[in-house]
Amino acid sequence: MTRRGWVLPAYTTLVLLYLFLPIAVMILFGFNDIRGRFNFVWQGFTLRHWTGIWDTPELTDALKNSLLIASISTIVATSLGTMIALALTRYRFRGRGSTNLFIFLPLATPEIVLGASLLSLFVTANVSRGIGTILLAHIMFNISYVVVTVKARTQGFNREWEEAAKDLGATPWTAFRTVTLPLIFPGILAAAVLAFALSIDDYVITLFNAGATVTFPLWVAGASRFGVPPAVNVMGTLIFVVGVTLALLAVPLQRRRAAAPVAPPTGRVAG
Amino acid sequence: MSDMDGLFGGLHRPVSRRELLRRAGRGSMYLGAMALLAACGVEAQRRQQGDRPEPLPDQPAGELVMANWPLYIDKGPTGSPTVKGFEEEFGVNMRYEVVINDNEEFFGTIREPLSAGQSTGWDIIVVTDWMIQKMNRLGYLERLHHEELSNFDANAAEKVQDPWYDPGNEHSIPWAAGITGIGYDVEAVGRDIVRFEDLFADDLAGRVGLFAEMRDTFGLALASMGIQEPDATVEDVEQAQQMLIAERGKVRGFYGNDYTDAMARGDLAAAMAWSGDIFALALDNPNLRFVIPEGGGMRWTDNMAIPVGAEHPLDAHLFMNFVYDPRIATNITKWVWYESPVAAVQEQIRQDVADKHETNVSCAPFCDDLAEDTFVFPTEETNAQTIPYKQLDEEEEQVWNDLFQQVVQG
Amino acid sequence: MAYLLLLPGGIWLLLFYVVPTISMLSVSLQEGSLEQGYRLTGNIGVYAEVLARNDTQIIRSILYGLITTVATLLIAYPLAYTIAFRGGRFKNALLFLIIMPFFVSFIIRTIQWKFVLADEGIVLGTLKEVGILGQGFHVLGENVAVLGGLIYNFLPFMALPLYVALEKMDKSLLDAADDLYSNRVVAFLRVTFPLSLPGVFAGSLLTFIPAVGDFINPEFLGSPETTMIGQVIQLEYLQNNDYPEAAALSFVLMAAILMGVFVYARLLGTEELTG
Repeated sequence: MTRRGWVLPAYTTLVLLYLFLPIAVMILFGFNDIRGRFNFVWQGFTLRHWTGIWDTPELTDALKNSLLIASISTIVATSLGTMIALALTRYRFRGRGSTNLFIFLPLATPEIVLGASLLSLFVTANVSRGIGTILLAHIMFNISYVVVTVKARTQGFNREWEEAAKDLGATPWTAFRTVTLPLIFPGILAAAVLAFALSIDDYVITLFNAGATVTFPLWVAGASRFGVPPAVNVMGTLIFVVGVTLALLAVPLQRRRAAAPVAPPTGRVAG
Repeated sequence: MSDMDGLFGGLHRPVSRRELLRRAGRGSMYLGAMALLAACGVEAQRRQQGDRPEPLPDQPAGELVMANWPLYIDKGPTGSPTVKGFEEEFGVNMRYEVVINDNEEFFGTIREPLSAGQSTGWDIIVVTDWMIQKMNRLGYLERLHHEELSNFDANAAEKVQDPWYDPGNEHSIPWAAGITGIGYDVEAVGRDIVRFEDLFADDLAGRVGLFAEMRDTFGLALASMGIQEPDATVEDVEQAQQMLIAERGKVRGFYGNDYTDAMARGDLAAAMAWSGDIFALALDNPNLRFVIPEGGGMRWTDNMAIPVGAEHPLDAHLFMNFVYDPRIATNITKWVWYESPVAAVQEQIRQDVADKHETNVSCAPFCDDLAEDTFVFPTEETNAQTIPYKQLDEEEEQVWNDLFQQVVQG
Repeated sequence: MAYLLLLPGGIWLLLFYVVPTISMLSVSLQEGSLEQGYRLTGNIGVYAEVLARNDTQIIRSILYGLITTVATLLIAYPLAYTIAFRGGRFKNALLFLIIMPFFVSFIIRTIQWKFVLADEGIVLGTLKEVGILGQGFHVLGENVAVLGGLIYNFLPFMALPLYVALEKMDKSLLDAADDLYSNRVVAFLRVTFPLSLPGVFAGSLLTFIPAVGDFINPEFLGSPETTMIGQVIQLEYLQNNDYPEAAALSFVLMAAILMGVFVYARLLGTEELTG
């Protein structure tokens, strides 16, 4: 793009600041030198919550559980969802229309009923509740989000490019890997970060299917009786810093990918 | 449909695979659409409770998982000294999780396994008196082995024994008790609050809060009308409901636990409150007061119980007995600031103040105040101002809930 | 081939979504109580009943959902556009930044928002001090707080699909459009926006559908006057233990949403969008 100007970048910065406002407060209150029991009035600066960062084993365990569940459910749901999205946009088959509509159903189901009816299933099947059942549930609700996000990318996708590669002697797998995958990759990436966020933030469905397992949001809910305790702010800050660092570390990689072929012209212009 | 009940109802212990297959075989006769639907559905709940308690294992399992409410046990730099002390003394690996924020939400998450007689994952749960009664009605609680609870028999205050919600303490023993009244910031309000109706003064509009919990809010509203909850009829409750609906416009919201941070931030000048919370909040804001309104406040007790299907019942008994040791109970109370069911605690705290006991860090610098606090250690006079909840049967509970729903949901 | 791609995900959804949903359907047709047990009686009447009793909350929820969707679309579109076309090698990093606040629990986010928006807090307190706002003014507990919470929390659900759709556009095509129409606005309306419709469609559904059923924002930031249908379902389930009503209400909500999706797809007009 040759477009220049400061309005859009300035706007983007503002929106990001808006998104980060509560995070900034969270980081700040991890340094609050609380005197009483609660943590919503600023009372002075201290580093003591940081030095004892791993002193609460239950919190550390909860965070570990959440990271494990979010990672696995992201990988599985992104794979399964991307496959469905590809099927829905690249092929015409019987039942395609209803499948397209069906995908929205899990999104429309109220969380509590989804969580409760899933628990009912696990109890009936006598499956004991724990990390395993949380995973099954998270993958389930993430699939739809992945399908919808990836479809925004694959829509209007031109199959001829892949066909051309095949004509040039590429195996279907090679054609997919070298032509299709790079083109839809931004969609898959966006879907994956969305799935990760949904999983690590989920409360209601997890609550029902966790048994006595505790995840990060469950622990935080229990601990936040008198404001968020500083230990949680510290953990939240840690998650945030690690996430941002990872994102910035990916920047040099991005340059390499930028050299990959640009997207082909899309087939049709609506309207 | 009776065979379908047989398929899912009446289970106590997890069924063996063969048993399950046999029942499923019987059920398969009904494999029509309706039967399929029924098979997936909520099964009949009621189970017959045996007269004798489930026998305990000979040896502790060395494992214990407990669910409790926030800020309800003493806390050191690396976890609860009480939990650590118990683990060392009995060689039990204990997981103490703070996951209960609301009686009904917690019940919602464990009901399904309980009704199937499966383990909920918890060995000890702590719920409020009326919830104990409800779970008992449904047969969801194990009978306790009082021969394993000698500290309870020796040290429990007389008034917590044989309570209205659990005769003979057959299924529960108290963890802590407290009072529902009104908390207010005397500077923000500009005067003292004495009656429940004072919350609805015009100059406080938009700065007062009520509880989202039906029992507490109806209880205080009824008391303000001169009716004690145990005597209340449906007509009385309807009248209380009308009063609340009429005043609703002045209320900021119906709060759960989060009323505390709204008070601390100053969004609420006055609100329904639990006694011990205001004691904690006053550490940072000395203008905060707690009062039992003129008509009376609600007296509640949170209780330990063992859910049916618990995997480590003997370990659970060991812990329940452990916290009835006066020394341990004192340590907990010094941190929690709610009433202890152990009679000797008040005297022990006075003693600790004199001895400069090491556990005084939990209440410093207010240990003196704590020892003489009439809400943590109710006097005869305080007790006379408090009202227990009414024992509701299922149908009544339904009616009250429906009436309350119209209050909180506009 | 298509069925092969659908199979693994399809089986997953069949086992862990369709089966529980059928059981929920069964629950909605039962009658009884916790103590008496529940019997399947095929009581269809419950649907009409819950619809009649909760029409205010249903309409309010749909309205809040629509406002949230339009607001997030307006906020997120320029954001996604900038990242897609001006992000350069920071694209992925920026994408990540948008979602980062959602890696810490909603409870933390909500409590911090309440701190920011408190009556005497850094925003309102200051404005009151200067005299711009009256003493009694507050945000928490009002419509605007609930909507603000919804808009904040669903912004990434809108921004990500928009970005995904915008990023795939051929830049030379857009430049050509600029040349062709000379007016940037016309070029945008005639070329860029139509091409981004799959993103608009996906984003607005990922926002609208969960927003209508949301209960966390009205619960923590609202008052009785802002009750949404998600809260009613929650209450029916947890407090009243009226599982049939909770289930029936969920199906009413799902049916309403599904019809909305269908109409919306037809409105945007292309077979391609819904298939």
